[in-house]
Amino acid sequence: MDSVALRRLGFRLLWIALGVAFAFLVQWVALSSGQFNSNGQRLFFLAGLYVTLAVSLNLINGITGQFSMGHAAFYQVGAYTTGVLAAKFYSDGAGLASKYPLPWLIGMMFAGGLVAALAGFIVGLPSLRLKGDYLAIVTLGFGEIIRIIVQNQKSLGGSYGMDVKPKIDFIWLSTLLAIATIAISRNLLKNVHGLAFLAVREDEVASSAMGVRVTRIKIAAFLLGSALAGAAGALLAHHETFISKDTFPMDLSFIIVTMVVLGGTGSITGSTLAAITLYLIPERMRDLKDVPVSYAALGVIMLIVTVAFVRRTMEKDFSKLRTVKLVAPWFVSIVVVAVGGAALKNVGPLSKVIDGQQLRFVIFALTLITLMLLRPQGIFAHHEFSLQWLKKVLARFTKRSGEVAS
Amino acid sequence: MIHSFTDLLAGASLTTLPQQLASGILLGAIYALIALGYTMVYGVLKLINFAHGEVYMLGAYTALFVTWALGFTPNAPNPPEARVWMLLIMLLASMTVCAIVGILIERFAYRPLRNQPRIASLITAIGLSLLLQYGGQLVLPVSPPPSIDSKVNPFSDNVKFVLKQGDSALLTQAAGFQPKVDQAQAAFDAQLKSEKSQFDLSPRGEELKKALEDVKREQKVVTDSANASKVEITLPKGQLIMLGMVVALMAALTYLVMFTKRGRAMRAVSLDFNASSLMGINVDSIVTFTFIVGSSLAGAGAMMTATFLPGTQINTYFGVLPGTKAFVAAVLGGIGNIPGAVLGGMLMGIAEVIVIWLGYDAYKDALAFVVLIAVLIFRPGGLLGSAKVEKV
Repeated sequence: MDSVALRRLGFRLLWIALGVAFAFLVQWVALSSGQFNSNGQRLFFLAGLYVTLAVSLNLINGITGQFSMGHAAFYQVGAYTTGVLAAKFYSDGAGLASKYPLPWLIGMMFAGGLVAALAGFIVGLPSLRLKGDYLAIVTLGFGEIIRIIVQNQKSLGGSYGMDVKPKIDFIWLSTLLAIATIAISRNLLKNVHGLAFLAVREDEVASSAMGVRVTRIKIAAFLLGSALAGAAGALLAHHETFISKDTFPMDLSFIIVTMVVLGGTGSITGSTLAAITLYLIPERMRDLKDVPVSYAALGVIMLIVTVAFVRRTMEKDFSKLRTVKLVAPWFVSIVVVAVGGAALKNVGPLSKVIDGQQLRFVIFALTLITLMLLRPQGIFAHHEFSLQWLKKVLARFTKRSGEVAS
Repeated sequence: MIHSFTDLLAGASLTTLPQQLASGILLGAIYALIALGYTMVYGVLKLINFAHGEVYMLGAYTALFVTWALGFTPNAPNPPEARVWMLLIMLLASMTVCAIVGILIERFAYRPLRNQPRIASLITAIGLSLLLQYGGQLVLPVSPPPSIDSKVNPFSDNVKFVLKQGDSALLTQAAGFQPKVDQAQAAFDAQLKSEKSQFDLSPRGEELKKALEDVKREQKVVTDSANASKVEITLPKGQLIMLGMVVALMAALTYLVMFTKRGRAMRAVSLDFNASSLMGINVDSIVTFTFIVGSSLAGAGAMMTATFLPGTQINTYFGVLPGTKAFVAAVLGGIGNIPGAVLGGMLMGIAEVIVIWLGYDAYKDALAFVVLIAVLIFRPGGLLGSAKVEKV
């Protein structure tokens, strides 16, 4: 081996070591901070899984451009595979799973990933003939079919659910899975195979004319994406110790799609950041028990007004103050909601309170609609978040206002 | 597990098939009404209006609120007598409210995105549908699940169509059991008066109780076989009226689309959006008009389902399953094709009822997706549509 190859290998090992170290750091933070109880640790664990789900869906939706909406089904397949295997090899605390928890769990991630990849293969087949919204609906339909079949299988616990024993709980493993998913996506885009995926997204006919094997690429995207989601499901099963139809509601698929769309389809960092934000905000909202109607109603009204205003500015106004006009309405409306909500808190019917938890999905829905109306390509579009990108964006903003001024 | 064809039919009895088919056609009529909304919007905009099921849900809620306004509030001491004009008001109110919701959705959610990739509109539609479902939870009455008072419906009595008379010998035999049962019941009741409690019987009481149970069991066996020998369809009058109204609405729609100026414009827009705008058609107003027609049909369907199908409970997810099935119906018939939507709706209704009849009711909701996937893979254009070749 020459020195270049050695150095490359060294760098690669260094990156892997850094990833593992980061995963343990997250676990250390989760376990050691006094303020985090077991619920707080669960937060860290699930955040890892959501990042995995979002980034793996981004592989199918964003990078390959095959709009899939049944991602929760693969997650579910992974979890139930683990559940069945664990039930087979668990004998009152003496089975394989209890003796060697870590190798068992890693094995389960592979098993869950494998079965989910098989499901992904079946779901991916129609993508060879369908595109756009039809594909979205078919994948949604497959997701529902898998859910209904699992619900009606006596051997899988039926509609009651099934126990998964023992409880194995490694926070670092979920973080590591997320890091691995990000690394796989990123490395894919950095080499020639990844270009083929992007080519399929941009133009199927042209890329097939250029010798890209479109069928293969689409199937590969589905296999890879669903396998990663299945591995996440395996981790979830042993963490929750009980899985049922309610663990994987239909809305879960929508949530994952929202994460990818919000971050920007095709942007790995975008999906990651969106997954963390969209997971943590609603979790924080669980603590919000009482929200007065005044805030919620004002919030919705101000959102509509702001969106209308910002859209108008985007379409028509190219004056010097454009940037200000795009940003200011948000601040104004936040202030209006905060002040107005507090002022109207005790007025008649507006004083009624809503359970904050019920607002979660309303917020998801509003986020989706607002985003599509203002920036349909997602926050980061297909760019990656980096310091260079940030500099470029800032430079563009300052340059534009400068030009108009001169 | 299914081992043979006879196993597949294990849960089914042939004599109930006509009744099931009749309910399938009624169900299909409603699916067809909703499917028309999907298909017309797809025709002009090439957009799947995912929020259509939620428009349907709002129609049902409107009908509910109208009945409350008319005095049929839950636990009302003396609700007014049911009248036909009440149903008409409900129908008009549901159609109007749904039309308004349709206009708002088109104007504020879909029109701004018309020049964006179609997937953006699709995501907005999903967002809207989630917003109406979960936002509705906050403002609409959901718990306990409200339902329209059955007293609103003046047509609740049944109509019976006898297709084949039962075996007369069996029927007389079954009728002959009634005096025996009455006799045994009377003897047991008389004995019960001298007993300490119903649950602690003397030997004589036990004997009479056993005799009563025996005679009742025999009666049930004979009655069942007598019933199995006759074939008849029983339908509430209201559902027949519902079917008639669906047919009338569809006739009106056919007239509107085929024989009016607006209808011709609608067909032109559906054929070529840009060319028709060049030909002087006000495309925006035609799109709005399409949304009005489609949504008000959904509103009519919602009002009729909630009123004429007894025990229908309304919640904010009321539109999810009918919406999905109607969408599949539209795809099955060929999306964008109006007669196709009606055919698809009927087929979906009948298929669903047959799945239940075969004893697989747990899978009745999966059926829609199976049909959808099969259609999209084997005949993407649908039954009446023609598959378009994608041009480069």
